[in-house]
Amino acid sequence: MASPVVQLNHVTKVIKGKKIIDDLSFTIEEGEVFGFLGPNGAGKTTTIRMMVGLMGITSGEILICGKNVEKEFEAALMNIGGIVENPEMYKFLTGYQNLMQYARMIKGISKQKIDEVVEFVGLKERIHDKVKTYSLGMRQRLGLAQSLLHDPKVMILDEPTNGLDPAGIREIRDHLKKLTKEKGMSVIVSSHLLSEMEMMCDRIAIIQNGKLVDIQKVHDYVNDTKQKYFFEVNLENVGILDNIPYEKVDKGYEIELEKEEVPKMIQKFTEAGISIYEVKPIAKTLEDRFMEVTTGGEKHA
Amino acid sequence: MLNLIKNEWIKIFKRPGTYVMIGLLVLAVLGTGILTKVYGDSGQSTNPQWKQELQQETKEYKKEMKGLPKSANTYKQSLERDIAINQYRLDHNLPPEQAETGWSFIYDSASFISFAGLFTIIVAAGIVASEFGWGTIKLLLIRPIKRTKILLSKYLTVIIFDVFLLAILFISAAILGFALFGTGDGNNAHLAYANGTVVEQNMLLYLIKRYLLASIDVIMITTMAFMISAVFRNSSLATGLSIFLLFMGSTVTAIIAAQYNWAKYILFANTDLSQYFDGIPMVDGMTLGFSITMLLIYFIVFMLLAFGVFTKRDVAA
Ligand SMILES: Nc1ncnc2c1ncn2[C@@H]1O[C@H](COP(=O)(O)OP(=O)(O)OP(=O)(O)O)[C@@H](O)[C@H]1O
Ligand SMILES: [Mg+2]
Repeated sequence: MASPVVQLNHVTKVIKGKKIIDDLSFTIEEGEVFGFLGPNGAGKTTTIRMMVGLMGITSGEILICGKNVEKEFEAALMNIGGIVENPEMYKFLTGYQNLMQYARMIKGISKQKIDEVVEFVGLKERIHDKVKTYSLGMRQRLGLAQSLLHDPKVMILDEPTNGLDPAGIREIRDHLKKLTKEKGMSVIVSSHLLSEMEMMCDRIAIIQNGKLVDIQKVHDYVNDTKQKYFFEVNLENVGILDNIPYEKVDKGYEIELEKEEVPKMIQKFTEAGISIYEVKPIAKTLEDRFMEVTTGGEKHA
Repeated sequence: MLNLIKNEWIKIFKRPGTYVMIGLLVLAVLGTGILTKVYGDSGQSTNPQWKQELQQETKEYKKEMKGLPKSANTYKQSLERDIAINQYRLDHNLPPEQAETGWSFIYDSASFISFAGLFTIIVAAGIVASEFGWGTIKLLLIRPIKRTKILLSKYLTVIIFDVFLLAILFISAAILGFALFGTGDGNNAHLAYANGTVVEQNMLLYLIKRYLLASIDVIMITTMAFMISAVFRNSSLATGLSIFLLFMGSTVTAIIAAQYNWAKYILFANTDLSQYFDGIPMVDGMTLGFSITMLLIYFIVFMLLAFGVFTKRDVAA
């Protein structure tokens, strides 16, 4: 794999004697969508603030494309485009004037580049309106546009889907996919929307109380070979499930099977004259994983 | 850096409040001009007995000088200057202008400099604090530009804005003054006294210099407002405190100065440098050099505070 685009080495943040981030280390590779997941107050925003230089790092270091965020701020930030929490813009300026503000701050951003970015986020029609007339979704788009102006290697987005409707969320997701595919950008997104993360991320880190509790590839468990399937059936006796791991649930059974075994199982039921009302895979979702990890394994009612 | 200043400039001028400020400033000049024209006495431009009057004045000055204590050294110098200028007028047959002219109107309009200062302070107080208030500080500070540079561009913008308002004041006073009162009788050189001799100075240059000198306290208080804005991120605090000090600072300082000698270390005891040219220093023993040093010290402290805090602080807005 290519060299890491973002590297956190034992990052710790103490605010007023309280450890908010505790010895966080991970790396993000080129072209990867990296999810940053955790319950409220876990420290996602704080970590992101340190990555973009808004907050100092108490100990440890953060490297962006090999440049230390604190010591080589300008060189490091050259590679970052970001949104931290809500993308607040100058409301008394138009969207375009806002983008011009940011464009002037970095050398070599042409008018065409701005138009291109505006087109990309789909804000062409409203770009010359004042930002105070924008809806939240439009402001998110403008925020995204602002972060793309200088073709950064890494996009850091703190809850980019916050406040968006499902269509908006889907659109952001498509944008991010396009960016990673077409431009080879890496993307870091934070969220507590689990299903969301599952759909857009390649890898997800779960943090809680400022500590990294788990980090893994999404398809590792989404494409797990063995999976649970829910069968809505009435079984008079469970002998038919001999040797197959199952669990009785409300209205039916959860049965753990390989994908190829599913048709066989259905056949088996039909041959035994058992009516099947519904069969569906129970994806072992990130949510389960999230709950497992963040509640320390205890079952949730 | 130029682009950063341009950005700040745009942010100031895309808000309607700025135009209200400029409008009020021009209106103040306009109002005074018209009032002066209507109610001002339209006497002769020169008094025929001006020679006798000047001689009388000189006599009084000389008498006053003898009675002065040693400590009023600077005042003595200013009397010497007045005497020399009077003599120069007599020698060269240059009567002092008495009626209002465009030039004197510009000169008098300098009293609106603290009005311009008021607006500059409002801008200075908001220029950092509003970014925090709007939440735009985050997107501003994640550009590949050092915070020092961003803050410096903001400070320079404030100073340029002050100069801009001064220029508006000066130009509107000039246009109105010349339109209403004419240019006088043509002998408009300003008589300056330097190193014991009187020289004729270009009136325009002299007036510009006067405007800039009169802006020293405005610049100092603006710098303080800017510092409060950067340190406390609160524009109301910065505006309120600074405007209070702009108008009350020297009065309060004068009261303290009547009692305590340490008043000379207060910023406002030093902002009015004209006290060394035509008046008595607020506290005995103060010199021009002392005041300039004090102003520099205050300036550096304000700047260190503003930059120190702004560049180190965690941004969690
Ligand atoms: N400036 C601050 N001073 C003191 N404590 C802070 C500060 N900023 C954050 N914290 C604390 O740090 C912890 C992490 O906050 P952070 O905003 O990073 O959480 P988050 O993961 O982004 O949460 P959310 O999902 O709600 O956005 C919280 O307990 C918060 O109270
Ligand atoms: Mg957050």
